[in-house]
Amino acid sequence: MTAMRRPWLLAASILFSLPMIGAAHAKTTLVFWHNHPEWKERVETILQKFEAAHPDIAIDLEEISGPDYTPRINTALAAGEGPDLIDVNPGPEARAAAEAGYLVDLTKLLDTSSLTDAGLDASTVDGKIYSVPVLGAYTVGLYYNRDIFEQNGLKPPATAADLFALCKTLKAKGITPMIAPSQDGTIPAFLYMLAASSILKADGLTAVRHGTRKLTDPDVLKAAYFMRDLYPYFEEGALGSQYTEGKALFALGKGAMMEGGSADYAGFTQTNPKIALAVVPFPALDGGQPSTVTGMERSIGVNKDGKHIDAAVTFLKWMLTKEPAQMVVDTITLTTTKGVEPSNNPVMREMIEASRVNDVRVWYEFPETANVFAAVGANAQQLFLGEMSPEDFAKAMQAAVTPKAN
Amino acid sequence: MAWRRRYDHVWFVLPGLLFFAVFIVYPTVSAFGLSLFDWKGIGRDVHFVGLANFAEALSSWPFYRAALNNLIFFVAILIFQHTVGLLLAVQLNARPRFMEFYRTVLFMPVIISLVATGFIWTLMLSPNIGFINPVLRDLGLGFLARAWLSDTTWALPAVIVVQAWNLLGWSIIIYLSGLQNVPQELRQAAELDGATAWQGFWHVVFPLLSPSFTALTVLTFIQIFRVFDVVYVLAGPLGAPAGRTDVLGTLVYRTAFGAGAMTSADARMSYAIAMSVLIFILMAAICAGLVHTLRKREAAV
Repeated sequence: MTAMRRPWLLAASILFSLPMIGAAHAKTTLVFWHNHPEWKERVETILQKFEAAHPDIAIDLEEISGPDYTPRINTALAAGEGPDLIDVNPGPEARAAAEAGYLVDLTKLLDTSSLTDAGLDASTVDGKIYSVPVLGAYTVGLYYNRDIFEQNGLKPPATAADLFALCKTLKAKGITPMIAPSQDGTIPAFLYMLAASSILKADGLTAVRHGTRKLTDPDVLKAAYFMRDLYPYFEEGALGSQYTEGKALFALGKGAMMEGGSADYAGFTQTNPKIALAVVPFPALDGGQPSTVTGMERSIGVNKDGKHIDAAVTFLKWMLTKEPAQMVVDTITLTTTKGVEPSNNPVMREMIEASRVNDVRVWYEFPETANVFAAVGANAQQLFLGEMSPEDFAKAMQAAVTPKAN
Repeated sequence: MAWRRRYDHVWFVLPGLLFFAVFIVYPTVSAFGLSLFDWKGIGRDVHFVGLANFAEALSSWPFYRAALNNLIFFVAILIFQHTVGLLLAVQLNARPRFMEFYRTVLFMPVIISLVATGFIWTLMLSPNIGFINPVLRDLGLGFLARAWLSDTTWALPAVIVVQAWNLLGWSIIIYLSGLQNVPQELRQAAELDGATAWQGFWHVVFPLLSPSFTALTVLTFIQIFRVFDVVYVLAGPLGAPAGRTDVLGTLVYRTAFGAGAMTSADARMSYAIAMSVLIFILMAAICAGLVHTLRKREAAV
């Protein structure tokens, strides 16, 4: 009896173990660190599409929030324990990571002809490609809550004068005019870049980078005055509140306006799917034009020390095709893939429309102006509190510029 | 043979010593080396600058401001622990009913992570969604309600309160163990001699608690001059508002990794290391002084 049963047992156990052995061999798991926790669900939807098309590759996405990302990744890379897919900021940081030898040279491995010019420019370090901004780009303008504006018979502002009049009206009605969480400096930095870009425009920023224009010039100084004058219309406790808290407040209709970008769309609608979002370019300062600021989302590269370089390249190849680009623009933010338009996303369309007037590249992507971002963070609160004059603030901003040697 | 007898103990010390050398001494020494360079923390752009980073730290106002905030923080926590902590320890030592319950509740905050503690308090203190202000208003104390963490006067005290709440359990446990070592006979003798309860405590019990006093003071000093997590979670990397809560820990962190959430272009790792080396030297010197003085005081008892 036992002799009869044994061959069956053996055959059955071999049969049962085969798929397991197969699975263990076939599946490659890529670790991907990214820094937009509020996008997690939407990015995972894109990753699932990829996994469905590539059953042998799985992607383990870890989202790390804003200020915690750089310390985590720099430490892990230095220790040789970085993830397979790394996201880096285009500009000086991407250059530093490439020069340090952390990233695979993708120039010959990827066909980047589908990228927009700005996207390609952001990917390139000394003529070589080390990362690609396949999770999109962002344009920053002024969001407003359509419901609050309609209920109060208000129109979105086109100039700084309109904006201040509007803020006064809203404040008198007991509505917080402007949500501007300023604890970590991100929002003040964008407010300053938008206000200064209204005056400077793209040419003026180039002039600042070459040292022929200064942030202390009398017309650009208006940006510092603008910041100081706008502060009284921020939400209560703005100086101590975090970016994420501010975003949640705006999404829940606790304020009428917030400086924000296409990349914030996902977070707002995730918090409150019913929010009536609308976008205009940032109001023009006296003598300037309405402005928007555009930058690349973090660009994705492949860890040179990673164990699955081929699989990681396969993933980036797929990300450069139209299908994921369409998902990015429909659910997350603007895309960097040519010829992909939002199919049914009015906010993204308004954002594209807003950027047609006076769009300036985000300052931190240029080595000469990269430190202005941090300089705003270090000084804006003193400016808001009246502990620093707008003139001194502008001086501190100019001191953070390292003009190109011509 | 004589050598063996004399140095036998080395074998017992060796594992710990090796561990200490690899994980503490080596990084400390190599950190000092790095502090002599100009390096962002990533990339190959490295220049030797000698002691320039130290000179810059010693002439920078944010460094002194952060050190001053640490000092205020330390003094406040120290006073709190040596008064409230001691008082509660004395109460617990009298073995009231439900002593175990009180002791557990009072010690609980210590075992909660400071990051979690910080998040909970951030939510409680928020003027938009927190409950501390509404509670104050309901109690008729509405004039006290404010935007705690963005108020230039109240932000640092608010952070200190959170840290004090978190650390209270330590002081209670340390004092309680000290109190349990005070011989009962001495107190009875004092009572027989006609000392009041206060006199008995102040002249007999408190002097015998001086080892606890020393341990707690030195531990608190080290803990508070290294404080980072609670400030980072409550007030962010910039020590908002306008640097009022900035401590050495947050200053070093944002110098090393960059202050911005969007870009770390301003990161200066080697300068941050130079500041850490200065803090290390300063703390070592003060700690040695503290231990020396307090031990003398213990010996005098």
